[in-house]
Amino acid sequence: MRVSQTLLSIPLLALASLSAWAEFPEQPIRFVTPYPPGGSHSLHAGIITTVAEPYFGQPMISVIRAGGGGAVAAAQIAQQPADGYTILFGDPTINSLRPQIEELGYSVDDFVPVARINYSPAVFVAGANAPFNDLDAMVAYAGENPGELVYSSDNVNGFTFVAFKMLEQATGTTMRGVEFGGGGPAMTQLLGGNTMAYAGAPSVVGEHIEAGTVTPICVTDYDRWGALPGVPTCQELGVDIIWHFWRGALVHRDTPPEIVQTLSDGFEQLVQDEGFLRLIGRIDSRVDFLDAAAFAELLAREQTDLKAMYDSLGE
Amino acid sequence: MTLLADLVAGFQTIANAWSLLAAFLGLAAGIVVGALPGLTATMAVAVLSPFTFFMSATIGIPFLLGVYKGAIYGGSIPAILINTPGTAAAAATALDGNVLARRGEARKALEASLYASVAADLLATLVLIGVAAPLAAVALRFSSPEFTLLFLLSLTMIAAVSGDSLLKGLISAALGAWLAGIGLDPMSGAMRFTFGSVNLMGGIGLVPLLIGLFAVSEILVRAGEGRHQTPPAASGGPRLTLREARGLIPAVLRSSGIGIFLGSLPGLGAEISCWISYGVARKRSRRPQDFGKGSLEGVAAAEAGNNAVCPAALIPMMVFGIPGDTITAVLIGAFMAQGLLPGPLLFQQHGPVLYGFFAILLITNVLLLGLGLVAIRHLGRIAALPPGVLYPAVAVFCVAGAFAVNSSMFDIGVMLAGGLAGFAMRRLDVPIPPLVISMLLAPSLENALRQSLLLSNNDLTIFFTRPIAAGLSVLLAMVLAGLIWRGRGRQSAAPAHHNN
Repeated sequence: MRVSQTLLSIPLLALASLSAWAEFPEQPIRFVTPYPPGGSHSLHAGIITTVAEPYFGQPMISVIRAGGGGAVAAAQIAQQPADGYTILFGDPTINSLRPQIEELGYSVDDFVPVARINYSPAVFVAGANAPFNDLDAMVAYAGENPGELVYSSDNVNGFTFVAFKMLEQATGTTMRGVEFGGGGPAMTQLLGGNTMAYAGAPSVVGEHIEAGTVTPICVTDYDRWGALPGVPTCQELGVDIIWHFWRGALVHRDTPPEIVQTLSDGFEQLVQDEGFLRLIGRIDSRVDFLDAAAFAELLAREQTDLKAMYDSLGE
Repeated sequence: MTLLADLVAGFQTIANAWSLLAAFLGLAAGIVVGALPGLTATMAVAVLSPFTFFMSATIGIPFLLGVYKGAIYGGSIPAILINTPGTAAAAATALDGNVLARRGEARKALEASLYASVAADLLATLVLIGVAAPLAAVALRFSSPEFTLLFLLSLTMIAAVSGDSLLKGLISAALGAWLAGIGLDPMSGAMRFTFGSVNLMGGIGLVPLLIGLFAVSEILVRAGEGRHQTPPAASGGPRLTLREARGLIPAVLRSSGIGIFLGSLPGLGAEISCWISYGVARKRSRRPQDFGKGSLEGVAAAEAGNNAVCPAALIPMMVFGIPGDTITAVLIGAFMAQGLLPGPLLFQQHGPVLYGFFAILLITNVLLLGLGLVAIRHLGRIAALPPGVLYPAVAVFCVAGAFAVNSSMFDIGVMLAGGLAGFAMRRLDVPIPPLVISMLLAPSLENALRQSLLLSNNDLTIFFTRPIAAGLSVLLAMVLAGLIWRGRGRQSAAPAHHNN
């Protein structure tokens, strides 16, 4: 009697847990922004969570968990249950680069990618008083004056920082970065003439390029950026740099594949929502959706490339 | 002339029932949020801004501006009534405000705070409308060397809030600087004092710690006093007289100037401005001995100082699209979601809407005065509630508030530890304000100093060769010399003081 009950209960349990997956999600999903309110991440998160409910069948709650340049939230989510109810709104610095080269309390393998929402390339720009106004002159200046080209950086191993490291490596030059902690202050220092160059998202530098207060150099993408058709890609100018600041959803690595797929499908529908597209257009952003599988491929490639670059820099 | 015409057009843009109602509701919500410890103005605007994404710009933005303004003012109410600043920006208000409330003059303090807030806000708004662009151009000349000196100057305010013993003040300040150092090194990414803890990596949160130092320690002190307390007059005491109000004018004007200047510089928020305003007011006051013992001037200076920041912080945001503080960073998001990209082209492309917002800022001022007066009439009674009812409720709000900042249980621990530390400091007569000031300033000072030295390749002359930096260096030297001079004077006069 006892044995048969136990035997019977195994498939039943399996069935029950299967149906639990089928019903996912049964409770609100937490969408965690690892940065303080006010940046592009929290803005995107606000828009995503506002329109999310119909596509997941549950409300999506925007949670701000700032600290350690994004590392605190990532390290905490890596320790949460792998049930798909806590999503990290990640990016290349906290999911590809920093865990490989810093001690952050989590590793790149602690997360499994769900969906990429979009990305921004970096646009290199020169200040109005900089002694160069195109890539050739900039590289020449950096070559003749090693360590004297001062640029506004964001954080060590941040988006801007990496863009300049890539430029240095591709051109064999050395430049001097001053970390100002974020894109806003970094841009301010460039406008004030205290630094010579900066590299930031089109949404940060676009208006200033239009207003003529900074000079565009090149953009780190395969194609020219839609809103800045006059700015060449770095590849066009012979410097092979591709650097994308993607924004994407990731969950704990042990999350069942079915749940990852459900979430991926939900995001795929979400990014086609009319209201979402309207808002994303207004904040000068766009959609470059990749589902779980394609995103995983990209992530693996990026992680290898960045590791290789840092190894060659010896940092 | 065109400015006036633009402004009139602006008033027409938003002179409809919905915009005004939105601003009014925002203001009321903001006051409530600001008054609850832990729920900061930044949180309020961040949480509420997605709701405005699908509203029209002339409804959504007035609502958020109302929340912003209301929250900055609201923080002063609990600071005065129960010695629990609702926001970090109201911490300086508590010093004198609560002493007044305990003397049964809560209403007077609340009114002084309201009038100072509204006056400073009005002045700063006029500056924003009139000279935003030129002021922003000046602010742009401030780079890391200037900020370094500005932060050092601000640190001298510790002397003004150290009470009787400068030594104890400096101990408190050193503690604050150490606490601020915990976490990820901002420039190199190295770990400092984290002991491998993920929670400490992000540093000690300022808001949870402040709630602990001020509110929780207040609860502990009150609990220690037991039942032998006589609540102040139930009516909240007498109103502010015209004569008293007139005496506050110089302090309010000075603090407004300080707040406008600091607000227009990116990165310096209301939290710092209130302390600097308070310190300067004490130095300039005819009755500096009253500061900390229930000076209306102190209340007015702190509140004018933090409220003037609010419109001024919109200056770098509107002119360059660069946020002046965290709240404006969130506001930029809300502006962008409305298709209004803050930045150099905003004025050209969206002039009418923008002047509409300026008009809203002016209108919310009048509304704030009205709402505030109504609120004060009733809120004055909170101070008269039996402590056994009031303080448990405050404790609940404290825990909720500390958690809300970052959805973190660890922050609740920080708050409780801060509460015990604050209690110990009060018992030992170690002043708390120097700790707060240095915790606010230390990270910024460290960053600015290291950035300056990176810019100059470790050449210290960068602090003297740039014109504004040179001026600030001279000013700093003068202030320090003055402090030492007065310190020596006090030492020789100490025996005489002893008899008092």
